[in-house]
Amino acid sequence: MIAAQGLSKRYGPVRALHDVSFDLPTGALVGLVGPNGAGKSTLLRLLTGCLRPTAGDARIDGASMAQTPKAARARVGYLPETSPLYPEMRVDAYLHFVGRLFGMRRADRRRRIDALTDRCGLGAIRHRVIGKLSRGNRQRVGVAQALLHEPPAIVLDEPTAGLDPGQSGAMRELLVSLRGHATVLVSSHILADVERLADRLLVIDQGALVHDGPPDTLRRALAGGAVRIEVRAEHAAVQHAMAHPAAVSVEPLAKTQAEAQSDAGWATYRVIPQNPERDLREHVAKALAAAGLPLRELVRESAPLDRLFDALKGGAQDTNASPAQMLAAQEPPGKEPPA
Amino acid sequence: MRPSPVLAIARRELGGYFGSPIAYVVLAATAAYSAVSFLPGFTAGSPASLRTVCSDVAWLALLVAPALSMRLISEELRSGTFERLAATPVRSGQIVVGKWLAASVCYAGVLIGPVAAAVALEAHAAPEWGPMIAGMLAVLLAGWLYLAAGTFASALSRNQVIALLLAVFAIGAPTLALHALADAQWLGGPARRLVARLSVADQLAELQRGVLDLRTPLFFASTTALFLFLATLVVEGRRR
Repeated sequence: MIAAQGLSKRYGPVRALHDVSFDLPTGALVGLVGPNGAGKSTLLRLLTGCLRPTAGDARIDGASMAQTPKAARARVGYLPETSPLYPEMRVDAYLHFVGRLFGMRRADRRRRIDALTDRCGLGAIRHRVIGKLSRGNRQRVGVAQALLHEPPAIVLDEPTAGLDPGQSGAMRELLVSLRGHATVLVSSHILADVERLADRLLVIDQGALVHDGPPDTLRRALAGGAVRIEVRAEHAAVQHAMAHPAAVSVEPLAKTQAEAQSDAGWATYRVIPQNPERDLREHVAKALAAAGLPLRELVRESAPLDRLFDALKGGAQDTNASPAQMLAAQEPPGKEPPA
Repeated sequence: MRPSPVLAIARRELGGYFGSPIAYVVLAATAAYSAVSFLPGFTAGSPASLRTVCSDVAWLALLVAPALSMRLISEELRSGTFERLAATPVRSGQIVVGKWLAASVCYAGVLIGPVAAAVALEAHAAPEWGPMIAGMLAVLLAGWLYLAAGTFASALSRNQVIALLLAVFAIGAPTLALHALADAQWLGGPARRLVARLSVADQLAELQRGVLDLRTPLFFASTTALFLFLATLVVEGRRR
């Protein structure tokens, strides 16, 4: 539904975006995350036809931005960053204006504005002047205009920016309600916002797409593919069990004093593969069973996405790092305090 | 029937003009200027003509048009609303024409003074309506051309003051220079005629005398279209 095909954008000598490709299916709610200046807004402008790419193409519902820009733009609803609006206009007049730009007839505009008044909570502000609205209400108006012409694709740039926690929650509910009805791409630099919402995350850094997959996959990639085990065995015995054939390292994890007393004989270890994309669980279980070491817990670790930007900073220092290595080039989750 | 994006943009811009003091200030100042230009000659025995007031208002359009056009696109660029506009299926040419159209409608308000003067003349004398209408047409044609140049200037900068100065320079410099050259005795006859043909001020003077030559509206239409085309190229460039 929303597809990027080798999208690149240069501003003179500056490479803002490089060879970004993905295809978002119908009805998906997808998050676009990355640090400030990573290229998120540039990517969204290319997808919505505000800008033309230096190379590549964007397709919205099959319509090419390069070949049929008018048709492609007609299929996408867009909320730019900071939700720019005309301050002298009234909310309903503004929505009618946007509807006219999309060729909507008067009856259709009225029907949709009535529907969006309920859905976006515009009832109290529908006849007010935009310039006198709060930031949160302006954001609602911005989202309403993006949904107005019932586009199959919706692109929202930082829709929760500047909102208080209550307003952010309402905005998230609104976005979730769109799932299944349209393909929604939401950018944010606040990971917690999209982590809770998205079926899929696109991570962009320094103009390159460094991750495309579900949030869980990203969390596991951030954890370096590590597996946490609780076994009744010494460190050396576990290391010996794991030594062949997988290229892994084993780290003991400290327990609290209370845990150490209640779990006498049991120890917790983190088994870390050299290849962070490898799923170690089956190998670890078999290796421990073969060595006759009692196992009572085996968990594939995942890290909070808040650590993503730290990971990207670490990876950025290694210019030869691959996207997966970039995400893996960070320290494993913090060790628990020693007993 | 589906709404026209050109008219949608023009309607919004007109709302912008009359939702802020700019249109009222500009039109009130022009009306006052028209009165100052007309009333001293509105005496018994004076010719029943709008020539002076129309000529003066056409010269004033060198300032009025840039004042009306400076915000058209630069304000969209400054506030970020251009990004939303650029992501709609509206063509760059439709954006430019819609905005110019709104400014042109607003600008037509400068005729309040000349029309009031014409009514006063009709009440107290027997004026010839042909030259009076030609004079008012000259005011409109000049203003619409200047507005097209102002729209082009407005697309070049996100700063309204810079857009204003660019427009004043872009329309003022050639208007004054060609007008001066058309009177220059050191130029040969054919060269002077060519310069007069390219001079906005001289074409307006011809029209205000009631000389109807198809080349005059053709000149204004083509130069207006040229500036609108240039503005479209700049707006299209901003979508790249």
